[in-house]
Amino acid sequence: MLRIFVCLYVAAVWVGAIATAQAGITVSDSRGEQHFESVPERVVALNWSMAENLVELGVEPVGVADTDGYSRWVAQPELPEDAVDVGGRAEPNMERIASLDPDLIVLSTTQTGLAEKMEKIAPVLFFDAYRRDHDNPEMAREIFKTLARVFARTDRAEEKLERLDERFQRLRERLKDHFGAALPRVTSALFMSPSVVRIFGDNSMPQHALKRLGMQPALPQKRTQWGQVQKKVSDLSRIEDGILLYFKPLDRARDLFSKPLWKALPVVARGRVAAVEPTWTYGGAMSLRYLAENMTDALLTIEP
Amino acid sequence: MLAVRLPDQQLPRYVAGLLLLVAAFVVHLQIDGPLSLAEQWRLIIGGTPDGFEQVRFYYSALPRAVLAIMVGAVLGVVGSLLQQVTQNPLVAPMTIGASSGAWLALVCASVWLPWLGVDQRAIAALLGSVVAVTLVLVIAGRGGIGGLPVVLAGMATHILMGAAASAVILMNQEAAQGVFLWGAGDLTQNDWNWVEWLWPHLLLLPLILLFAPRPLSLMRLGEAGARGRGLSYGPVLVVLLLAALWILATSITAVGVIAFLGLIAPNIARSTGARRAGDELLSSGVFGACLLLGTDALAKLTGIWFGELVPSGTAAALVGAPALVIFARKKLGQGAHTALSLPHGARQLYTKTWVLMTLALVGLFLLTLTWVPNVSFWKEGVRFAWPSDLIWSLRGPRLLMAASAGAGMAVAGLILQRLIRNPLASPDILGMPAGATLALVALSVWTGTSIHESGPGVAFGGSLIVLTVLMLLGRRSHYAPGLVILVGISLAALMEALVHFVLAQGGDSGYVILGWLSGSTYRADGERSLMLAAGVALMFVIVLVLSRWLTLISIGDGMARARGVHVGRARLVLLVVVCALCALVTALMGPVAFVGLLSPHVAALLGARKVRPQLFLAAMVGMALMVLSDWLGRTLVYPDQLPAGLIAALIGGGYFLFLLTRRRLA
Repeated sequence: MLRIFVCLYVAAVWVGAIATAQAGITVSDSRGEQHFESVPERVVALNWSMAENLVELGVEPVGVADTDGYSRWVAQPELPEDAVDVGGRAEPNMERIASLDPDLIVLSTTQTGLAEKMEKIAPVLFFDAYRRDHDNPEMAREIFKTLARVFARTDRAEEKLERLDERFQRLRERLKDHFGAALPRVTSALFMSPSVVRIFGDNSMPQHALKRLGMQPALPQKRTQWGQVQKKVSDLSRIEDGILLYFKPLDRARDLFSKPLWKALPVVARGRVAAVEPTWTYGGAMSLRYLAENMTDALLTIEP
Repeated sequence: MLAVRLPDQQLPRYVAGLLLLVAAFVVHLQIDGPLSLAEQWRLIIGGTPDGFEQVRFYYSALPRAVLAIMVGAVLGVVGSLLQQVTQNPLVAPMTIGASSGAWLALVCASVWLPWLGVDQRAIAALLGSVVAVTLVLVIAGRGGIGGLPVVLAGMATHILMGAAASAVILMNQEAAQGVFLWGAGDLTQNDWNWVEWLWPHLLLLPLILLFAPRPLSLMRLGEAGARGRGLSYGPVLVVLLLAALWILATSITAVGVIAFLGLIAPNIARSTGARRAGDELLSSGVFGACLLLGTDALAKLTGIWFGELVPSGTAAALVGAPALVIFARKKLGQGAHTALSLPHGARQLYTKTWVLMTLALVGLFLLTLTWVPNVSFWKEGVRFAWPSDLIWSLRGPRLLMAASAGAGMAVAGLILQRLIRNPLASPDILGMPAGATLALVALSVWTGTSIHESGPGVAFGGSLIVLTVLMLLGRRSHYAPGLVILVGISLAALMEALVHFVLAQGGDSGYVILGWLSGSTYRADGERSLMLAAGVALMFVIVLVLSRWLTLISIGDGMARARGVHVGRARLVLLVVVCALCALVTALMGPVAFVGLLSPHVAALLGARKVRPQLFLAAMVGMALMVLSDWLGRTLVYPDQLPAGLIAALIGGGYFLFLLTRRRLA
């Protein structure tokens, strides 16, 4: 009899422990451990990549900073229609955030130093996503997983990440079908003016996407906070045998392609250049999919 | 008749100048290219480029060097012309507002009219700079054109235009990306288009060299003297200025904002012995070309070393800031030895003014605390509500911070206007706040940390360094105002160059710095705002105690000395107080422009003629202005916000125009 009681008692404690574990969850952000009693339901994202993470996880943020800018520059994935604009990213409107009565506010690099103030309104998660001294794409993945745990959607996140890997796999096979087993070296860039180009190098999302597609950079660049380096267009001559991808839109460098210097660039002369549809290059883990798809489309237009 | 003659003693200078130019040209071309000198020569004399390296030399390196010579010469000649017309060694494209006018126009064009072509952009830039310069000249008036007033008016316009441009950028971050490189002054070329576009515009240059020297040497006699020799002073002045602005605007359009060159080249020319008008113009042109070639070579070298593009404007500012102080400091010994003339308003200070002012201030406090902002004023109407604890904890510190910053800058401005005896003096163009700002910006750029993370200590450190430099440089001139302003201008330009460099690099860091530079109360918390309030109150009490000095010095140094005031020491002490106030505000909130200029004026207009009542009233006006600006910034573009300092600068700019129409500054 006693033994049965002991067994029941142990079982009860065990079940109780599981229940408490489910009731609360502890995750770490860039400041340290943060504890949540329950799954947040009204979330405000003050950074575009954080908003993107939430939407990908199937969480509809009630407020996002600069929603107009998001639809213009990030575009994919689409924000829920009723997400409220809470002001600019550098100085989001705290009174408006408070009026949404959120139970979580997600901050990122642009809002450095604001966590303490925001905590007056609601619990805060702060992710310093873009830093020179860490790996931005790896960090993006971690952030995505952490957010998934907060919202108890780890399964969905795992599934999404797996599907992302599969997607990369499939795109890589398509590229191999096109280019053969040895894939070319590729570097991506954005033209800032007819004479200056922003090259995505170490620590950037586009280069990471290319690496996971199985391609090495054609013009390696030093590691920076946002993963980009500004160079003269003539420096693109250092691409020896490889491909140059450039992101659209091109309005800042419209007449570049008629210039003798451009035509004389070895990479241009060999016809190893292609345009990529507009894609947001500072996004979260899932933005890699859009980058990979759009860059693959561009690469497939180039003769092997 | 050829106006430029070369007597014997000038020949060596020109030979040396031209040799330097050729040497700089050759050195410039050797950076970053594997071609041999023989190959380079073949291409220069018209050989067809073959292979990429030759194409690069012919279409990139060569046009860049040629453009550097052209633009450098333009900046030198225009700087010299402006300085001779105004007989003021501090006048230059930047100090007269031309570059900021062009910058504002181009920022607006790239945000709202992105489809504009190059030529239309050039016209926009020209319009911007002409408007800015006209504004400056009219504000300074004919009497002020030769002295500090034109520089003060120029810097005020510079700040106003800069504030407007920052507002546009902050509201349209991504769309404004395209202009940042231009703002940083980048000479990178990849064809001859800009050279070909620019040279026809520069045909004015030889005409200026040919015809300007005679009227310029007559102008040195002063307006009456020039008229006596048969010069129609007004029309000639306008024609000369327009010609100078035109070639200046075209070269600004081609390469962007390059500060300092126009200021330094004429000063170098004079210090090497160029005395006569035509001689100074021509030598300034030669030295300007050498200087730009040199700084651009430096920019290319650091770019290679850094692995990243370094705009020439940044390099020019880094070299130019110290050079300017060294070259121009001797000429600034004498300040404006006039008594302070405050704007006239009410004849005396009535009790009802005090009552009304107090009521207005309380009313403003209540308004900002209880107004419920909404997206569309017309649809949702006006609503007031007593703030909840949470809202109170958000609005309260901002209100306190805005009010204390306003009071602090007002007091600083009042002291400065009375010290310099110039109603246009404003603490935001002083060296000290610029030093604090520069220290914070530089640290943030260097270490890549957020500008909000470095504490007030850094800001105080920056001001302290500038203060020490000023004390070392200024002892001989009894801390004359010109020097203080000169250091301020240099640091401000240096800072601008750094900010444009960060903005041009991309990423979000630039906007955070820009937002901070605009003076925002957004990050105010209880502790910081209390600290600021206490600091400003302390300084206020100190100034009250020292108010007798201020009264006497604002009448004149002689009067002060006769009453037993040690003028040099008193100036220094009061300057330190101004610095402390500026450093406090800058460190805890961010730079605040125009409030220091505006508030003492309004106080005087309300009838406060004596120091003590003006102190109290100016502080109240400053508070009211900042609180109003903070409220407008929070509600006008809700849910976005604009920094209070920026709105205050825009309101202050409006007041400037008002002063202009009332001719109070003529």
